Amino acid sequence: MRTTIVIGAGLSGLMGALALAEAGLRPLLLAKGQGATHWTAGTIDVWGADERSPREALQTIITSRPGHPYALIGVHAVEEAITRFRALTEAARYPYVGGLERNVLLPTAAGALRPAALLPVTMAAGDVRLGGEMLIAGFRELRDFYPPFIAANLAAQGIAARGVYLTMPPAFRRREYTTVTFARMFDDPAFRSEIGRQLRAQRGNATRIGLPAVLGLRDPLEVVAHMQNESGAQVFEIPTLPPSVPGIRLFTLFQQAIERAGGRLQIGSEVIRGEGQDRRLTTIWSEAAARQQEHRVERVLLATGGIAGGGIRTDHAGIVRETALDLPVRAPANRADWFAPRFLDPHGHAIYTAGVATDAHLRPLGAADEVIYDNVAVAGAALGGADTVRERSRSGVSLATGWAAGRILAGLVS
Amino acid sequence: MRTLTTDVLVIGGGATGAGALRDLTLRGIRCALVEKGDLTHGTTGRYHGLLHSGGRYVVKDPQSAEECARENEILRKIMPHCIEDTGGLFVVTPADDESYADRFVAACRRTGVWVEEIPVREALRREPLLNPRIRRAFAVRDGAADSFLATHANADDARRYGAQVLTYHRVVGLERVGDRIIGAVCEDLRSGETVRIHASFTINATGAWAGKIAAMAGLHISVVPGKGTMIAMNHRIVNTVVNRCKMPADGDIIVPIHTVAVLGTTDIAVPDPDVYDITPEEVRLILEEGECLVPGVSRMRALRAWAGVRPLYREQDAGSDRDIPRTYKLLDHETRDGVAGIVSIVGGKWTTYRLMAEHTVDLVAQRLGVTTPCRTADLPVEPLHDSAASAPRSSARTQFAILASPFYMLGHRLAEVEADDSYGDLICECELVTRAHLEAAIRSDGTANLDDLRRDTRLGMGPCQGGFCTYRAAAIWHELRNGTAQAAGAPPATALIGHFLQERWKGVTPTLWGDQLRQERLNELNYLETLAIDRLPATGRDTIVQGRDYVIEEVV
Ligand SMILES: Cc1cc2nc3c(=O)[nH]c(=O)nc-3n(C[C@H](O)[C@H](O)[C@H](O)COP(=O)(O)OP(=O)(O)OC[C@H]3O[C@@H](n4cnc5c(N)ncnc54)[C@H](O)[C@@H]3O)c2cc1C
Ligand SMILES: Cc1cc2nc3c(=O)[nH]c(=O)nc-3n(C[C@H](O)[C@H](O)[C@H](O)COP(=O)(O)OP(=O)(O)OC[C@H]3O[C@@H](n4cnc5c(N)ncnc54)[C@H](O)[C@@H]3O)c2cc1C
Repeated sequence: MRTTIVIGAGLSGLMGALALAEAGLRPLLLAKGQGATHWTAGTIDVWGADERSPREALQTIITSRPGHPYALIGVHAVEEAITRFRALTEAARYPYVGGLERNVLLPTAAGALRPAALLPVTMAAGDVRLGGEMLIAGFRELRDFYPPFIAANLAAQGIAARGVYLTMPPAFRRREYTTVTFARMFDDPAFRSEIGRQLRAQRGNATRIGLPAVLGLRDPLEVVAHMQNESGAQVFEIPTLPPSVPGIRLFTLFQQAIERAGGRLQIGSEVIRGEGQDRRLTTIWSEAAARQQEHRVERVLLATGGIAGGGIRTDHAGIVRETALDLPVRAPANRADWFAPRFLDPHGHAIYTAGVATDAHLRPLGAADEVIYDNVAVAGAALGGADTVRERSRSGVSLATGWAAGRILAGLVS
Repeated sequence: MRTLTTDVLVIGGGATGAGALRDLTLRGIRCALVEKGDLTHGTTGRYHGLLHSGGRYVVKDPQSAEECARENEILRKIMPHCIEDTGGLFVVTPADDESYADRFVAACRRTGVWVEEIPVREALRREPLLNPRIRRAFAVRDGAADSFLATHANADDARRYGAQVLTYHRVVGLERVGDRIIGAVCEDLRSGETVRIHASFTINATGAWAGKIAAMAGLHISVVPGKGTMIAMNHRIVNTVVNRCKMPADGDIIVPIHTVAVLGTTDIAVPDPDVYDITPEEVRLILEEGECLVPGVSRMRALRAWAGVRPLYREQDAGSDRDIPRTYKLLDHETRDGVAGIVSIVGGKWTTYRLMAEHTVDLVAQRLGVTTPCRTADLPVEPLHDSAASAPRSSARTQFAILASPFYMLGHRLAEVEADDSYGDLICECELVTRAHLEAAIRSDGTANLDDLRRDTRLGMGPCQGGFCTYRAAAIWHELRNGTAQAAGAPPATALIGHFLQERWKGVTPTLWGDQLRQERLNELNYLETLAIDRLPATGRDTIVQGRDYVIEEVV
């Protein structure tokens, strides 16, 4: 029987499960569905709300905002998580580059420049500070990537860029295209050769070429190398709207690492309730295909996500709940206070800071700051106290708190 | 400054104004219409969607009931493609006074409103989610009507006969010489230019704003703007229009229309038709009342809320707003106030817009010495093909499917997408808007922003409320318009994204919880995290013609 349970398969759950598996605890990861990895860009954003370096920002937050997830775990834990993550991706032949010292600015599919602390090496040549004219190339068949629009917005920011559409080779035409169908096509060398030839012809003075982030699922490094050879320029990926191919790659490499270390993943199981006594959670129930399963538990890592992930749920009466274990949630008292009038308000909307409050061991707290369960740790977007989308810290917080929660539950942190 | 001359100037691009314009052209009268927003920007685009059978008014306002019953049959005949023949039910719920039902039936007989009592079992068979404890049920000839499509179709028909339609033109003054109105001064909200329109006759069809226009000529009309709020649920919880069988009150109707069901409405007097909001209490009230008809409705997913203002005309002081008659009123300012060259048409319903237009144009024609009779009751309105931007012809198979029923059919877009095999071309997956639909709409003149495209195509009106299609539509807009003459003066595509996201946001916040809140957070991930549109260079100098209050707003 597996008694170490991780709930949630987003970045925090995956990172936590890896820590627990490597500590020999054979975790079982239960998740209702895929996590936010599949919806988001696949970079690790530690802090991007302002122009400070991630390290500088971390240091200030830790002293000035004690309830912030980063403050709970400290800079050291963030560094440890990043080190482990980089080694993991390196070993999987999909290395991430970067760190806490500075953010890299990467073009988005709207032609904006987005800060990221760590990025897959397949995106590295997009760093605007490298200089050099860009060719942005895409396919009319892909609904979520528009080279002329991207190039025009980059040009408006003083970055030399041109946008072109490539022609779909007849042998590869199909009825419907998604990012994933494109990624499979790029796994095929014949497709790559054809596209590479077109890129060489279109290249002009460009020294680097931005393509949608669909450059293969099997071996993206090889795809990029092949495209660079054929085109004669640097090639980089630009993240698209969901489904995110870089996110799928991340999920897959985590899954393999967790399973190799003795863990197991069970996607499609929703945890619906938990029971315990004397500050110990003893049992949880999961539901899959309308069948309930009871799990006796020693330790549980709650990584069910926030409002987007489904870990935090709201209703018309203004009640905010944590969905798996019904832990106490801190949220604005009134529905009237949930939103700012402008969608793009730089301070965000108060409801998105709702979540579970914890102590420095990431144990869930009640209204009077009392510990609810000693053997539960909370990580990722289920934690309250920050709107990580506005801070551009979402993936950084998930990675670091997931790792920290796993290490804490494994008894590796004093 | 531009100057324009016409015979009749219509102010207001709602159902009534567009209907009057078509009526005028059919009688061979030269005319032009000005509207300060896009067509349907006023109450016509914020109503409940109900083609009234008349049943709602039989007891309280029999004249209105009679008008609705007659016009209902006419509209079914002249614009079936804008109407979904859902049928309607009046049901007595446990919360309703049982004695009303017999008065209701008697009043239907008196006013000529078709009604038939059906067994409760049968009502529940038709509508399984209906409250099983209803005590009686009556079938009526209610329907669902697409006022966006209908108004555009009327305006387009009028254009074909030579009328001019000027949207985003706001009337800022009427030209009065002695005791006669000889035209209006407008501001072109897109260029800022002043446009002077000379006309022998002016029709004030500005609904809730009619008092404001009349005041420009020194005339007094008392229009009480009565605000009503509606909530669209993300699926069709009923397929028939369902009414509570009782005296008209708040939150007592559910209208299935397109892919949603709309709950409503309320009635709250507001001082100004341009300034109102949706309160949490209204939302709570509508959901609570909705529970009487469909138990559990408040736990279902609400998509969006909006509010419109009724143009209720008050001749003398009435007790409450609901006591003001729902019939319309044609005000001949020559006989009423001694000012010639202008009439005002106020009050009424969407359902009676054609009759209101006929009545108005009868008077105007007589003053102009035109004797051609009204033909709008018989002459069908040319169908636009689905979108006002007249999308490309669909395949023979879908044409057939559409023609098989004269009425609007819910599944027609899906049928078209399936027949043309155009899944890969869907830009708005929720509402099945293809790239071809969208491109045609972008190319059509007069479209100033993505919200205008929405009214043409339903872009962004489905469950994700613009989560994906906002980006796609703006980028396609950029490709089609950048560097063209149409781009001059228009906002850059980036500003369009911010504007449309904000327009969608305003309407979702009143009902944002549960799954819909989850959806909004995903939209934030898309636009802030993945696309980082907030980091695009500030477009402070760029302006967008703002939908509701028509101010020129700075978009950052
Ligand atoms: C909440 C609610 C629910 C309703 N539900 C139904 C229903 O289910 N069925 C039904 O039959 N009826 C319904 N009605 C009634 C119906 O919507 C209206 O009677 C009808 O839409 C009025 O159309 P209109 O053209 O007269 O006015 P509007 O549509 O308001 O048109 C007036 C136009 O004038 C324009 N305008 C104003 N000032 C100026 C200016 N200075 N310059 C230029 N243009 C100007 C406005 O922008 C506006 O577009 C409902 C009304 C409300 C409020
Ligand atoms: C019959 C019918 C069916 C519909 N079906 C659907 C549907 O299937 N899906 C869908 O998405 N929509 C649907 N709608 C609603 C539609 O999308 C629009 O919301 C509606 O037409 C009002 O137009 P608007 O958004 O431009 O209104 P706006 O007034 O611009 O905005 C929407 C709401 O926000 C409020 N608001 C306006 N300005 C502000 C402000 N400054 N601050 C705060 N609040 C403000 C208003 O009260 C309004 O109700 C339907 C409408 C009708 C009439």
